[in-house]
Parts: sequence; C-alpha cells; structure tokens
Amino acid sequence: MRHIPTVAGRELRSLFVSPVAYGVLSLFSILGGVFFILYVAEFSEWVFRLQQMQAAQQLEDLNLSDHLVNGFYGSMSMVLLFLIPGVTMGLFTSEKANGTDELLLTSPLTIWDIVLGKFLAASAFVALLTAIVGMFPAILFLYGDPELGKTLSGLLGVLLVGWTYAAIGCFASSLTRSQVLAFLITFVILLCILLVPAMADLGIAGGAPGIAELLRWLSTGAHFDELSKGLVDTSDLAYFAVIIGVFLCMTKAVVESVRWR
Amino acid sequence: MIEARGLSKRYGDVVAVDDVSFSIGKGEVVGFLGPNGAGKTTTMRMLTGFLPPTEGTAVIAGHDIFEQAIDARRSVGYLPETPPLYPEMTCRSYLTYVAKIKDVPRARRHGAVDQAIERCGLEDVHRRVISTLSKGFRQRVGIAQAILGDPPVLILDEPTVGLDPLQIREIRSLIAGLAAPGKGESQQTVVLSTHILAEVEAICRRVILISDGRKQVDAPITELTSGGRSLEEIFTQATLRDASADLDLEGDG
Repeated sequence: MRHIPTVAGRELRSLFVSPVAYGVLSLFSILGGVFFILYVAEFSEWVFRLQQMQAAQQLEDLNLSDHLVNGFYGSMSMVLLFLIPGVTMGLFTSEKANGTDELLLTSPLTIWDIVLGKFLAASAFVALLTAIVGMFPAILFLYGDPELGKTLSGLLGVLLVGWTYAAIGCFASSLTRSQVLAFLITFVILLCILLVPAMADLGIAGGAPGIAELLRWLSTGAHFDELSKGLVDTSDLAYFAVIIGVFLCMTKAVVESVRWR
Repeated sequence: MIEARGLSKRYGDVVAVDDVSFSIGKGEVVGFLGPNGAGKTTTMRMLTGFLPPTEGTAVIAGHDIFEQAIDARRSVGYLPETPPLYPEMTCRSYLTYVAKIKDVPRARRHGAVDQAIERCGLEDVHRRVISTLSKGFRQRVGIAQAILGDPPVLILDEPTVGLDPLQIREIRSLIAGLAAPGKGESQQTVVLSTHILAEVEAICRRVILISDGRKQVDAPITELTSGGRSLEEIFTQATLRDASADLDLEGDG
C-alpha cells in the first residue's frame, strides 16, 4: 500500500505533460464562467421582477444559496459527466498500449497499489476541478451573503460526485485497450445512473415500491441534492463511499483477471 | 536460483507450454532458444509472475511464485519483448520511478539509477524524453530498468532485437559482465531468450531449447557441440522433429 503515492505521482505528472489536462481545466473554467454569469443574470432578473410586483414575501424567500449557487453546482456536475470520462479513459488503457502493464504486474506492487494509485491521481484532478467550481460562489461572498454552510456542503457534493465518476471511469478504463471505448463505457454507465430515477418514476417497478426506492437510492442526483440543501447526512456520504468502493473493487478484479486469462 | 517445476500453460485447448522443468544455478547465463511461437515468452512470463501457470510452479531465488509472489517478483529484473516504457517521461525520471516501485531503498536509489544509466551507456540521453529516443536507445532503457537495483535474477526476452551490430556487441558484453561481475557488484543469474544462435554461442554457457511448448534440449554448449555438430544443426533437428510430429499445434510466442 505504500506505493500508492508513487503510482499516483507518476500518473499525475503524465497527465500534466499532455495537453489533455490543460484543455480540460481551461474548458471547465470557461464553462464555469458562462454558467455562473447565466445564473447571476437570471437571479437579478428575478429580483427585478419581484421588486416591480412588490412581492415582499417572495423577495424574502429568494436567496443566493438556493436560487443561484445550487443551480450552478448542478450544472457544473453535469459538465463533469462529460469531462471526467476524458480524464480517466487513459488510466489503464495507456499502460496496456505502452506495454507497461507488464512492468507493473511483474514488479513487487500489489494490485491495490496500482488501482488506488490511479484512482488517487484522478481524485486529485477532480479536487482541482472542484476548486475551480468553488471560485465562483466565492465571488458572491464579496457582494452578498450566501450561506457558508450550504455553499460548502454543495461543493462537497460536487467533489463526491466527481470522485464517483472517477471511480467508474477507472473501472471502464481497466476493461479495454481502447481509450475511445473506455470513454464510451464510462459515459454509458454515468448516463444509466443519471436516468435510473426517471425509470423509477415511470413506474417500471410499479407494483414493487421497494425496487423503485432502490433505483432512486442508486442515482447520484438525489444524494447530491441533499448535500446542496446543506444536509450532510451519513447515509448520503455512505452512498458515495459504497459506489466508489464497489467500482474500485471491480477494477481490482478486472486488473487481477489479466493474470488469470 | 531459478527452479521451474512442470510449468504448463494452456489457453483452452491450445497448449502453449507443456510440462517444462529446469533448474538454473547462481551466476549461470542460460540461452532460451526456440523458433517463434515455441513458448519462450510464455515461459518467461510465468517465471516473472505476469502469467500464472496452468500447472506447475517455479521458485525464484528461494521464493515460490505463488506463495511468496511479491518476494519472487522483487528478485527478478525483467525485460519483456517490447520494452515497457512511458514515452512522455524522461529516461532518468522513468528509471527513478522503476527504482521506487521495485523497492530499491531510498538511500541507494540515486546510485542505482546512475549505475544503470552508466552500464547501459545512457549518459548522453538520460535527460531526454523517451519518445524522442531511437529504437536502440529505447531497448537500452528497457535493459537499464531490468538491471536496476541488481536483482539476483535477470530475465531478458530478446534483449538485442532491433539493435545495430555495434549495439548488439555492447549489450552482449554487458550481459556477460553481469554474470562475471567486477568488484563490489553482485553476481547475477541471467536467462535470455533469442532465436539468434550466434548470440547464444557468444554469451551463454548453457542452452535450453524449447519447441512447441516442450523442452527439447538442456545442456551446456560445450557438451552439445563436442561431437563436432554446430548449434544450428541441433536447433534444426530438434525443431523439425517436433514440427513434423504435430503440425496443427500453434503455440503463442
């Protein structure tokens, strides 16, 4: 286990010598800026209209956290859905392309060293992306008074969603030799997770409420919403831990199975 | 140092390696001969722990490849068929990374990397990015990562493939030097695979010939050639006998 940082360090350095990392960071910052401006404009529009209507009660209810920051976090986590597969697609596929999987698997590393090292590198990158997301609400603190607690717990939600996506990307990358395929597999799994609650609502499990509940529990969206409402609940944190853990265990099994094929 | 006990590898019905046993002592340089697809690479991959044997086991430097897998892997320097390089890294940072994952102690790491660079003649290119290196230099970086940290056992899969005659000579003398070390260097056991017979004659004292997954010959070179026969004759005879026996079997190299 002590080689996890070694593997992660190499992975991160490789990520940052390629243009991919910089491309992703720039694109993410630009999109962040665009979404932020859109949400701010929409919010001012609301304030303006409500003032014209002299709706004092509604004006009172309108606040930066619920009506601006949350929407922004939601949009940014959607952007992560497209970007993270691009970041994780090379994790294992490039080892296979370079033939370096043979180096790793014949060195005294354990499979967990390799899998967790790679996940750690991807997680560090996701943390960087989350920091970019965090920059924008920070600006609001200069001009208004959003709730600090909600802003931070929402940001934690973005981070956890990102880490979940990264674990899924890690798994997809271990399955194939092709980066394109790794990207697509990640994307399909992420879409399924996104669409699961819709399936539950459509009544696929009409007769069995238990299954509908389970499907709803499986989707990241519901847990993310709880966090952006400012509710840091153990069950939501456990959800992310379980999903990340399951995908990392599956990755380990796949990497190990190369030896047994 | 290396003890193979009934190693077999089957992929479904295809037998790549069939019940191969041998024992190699400390300081021996053994040539692993055989035509393409004979099972050389598969056997080497089993010894290094990359592929598990379907049957049998091996003991490397006193460590069973199943029971003490990590210790066994720590005792082996391995050059696969294609050198396992990260093209975006510099030669030195790559070797430093390999030293870390191979558990070379921190205090010795820098010296070990310097030594590997020097022994493989990489002094002029060690700051360059691997993707910009010529094929010959890449092969040498591959050898450098294998000998890094002086593992007691070296397994080299076609170490001179793709090199020009001058480089081939350098690499051969390097390998010869590994088994007969100078002062302060530890003696290493070397297994190298090749299908170049002259290479075997130049650096090995013993030959193990594999054909169609089975061990055909295992003897010192002097003994084999004592009757006035050349290695080439022995090679042709051993492989032909086999090819005529079962033409339909194709091992995976």
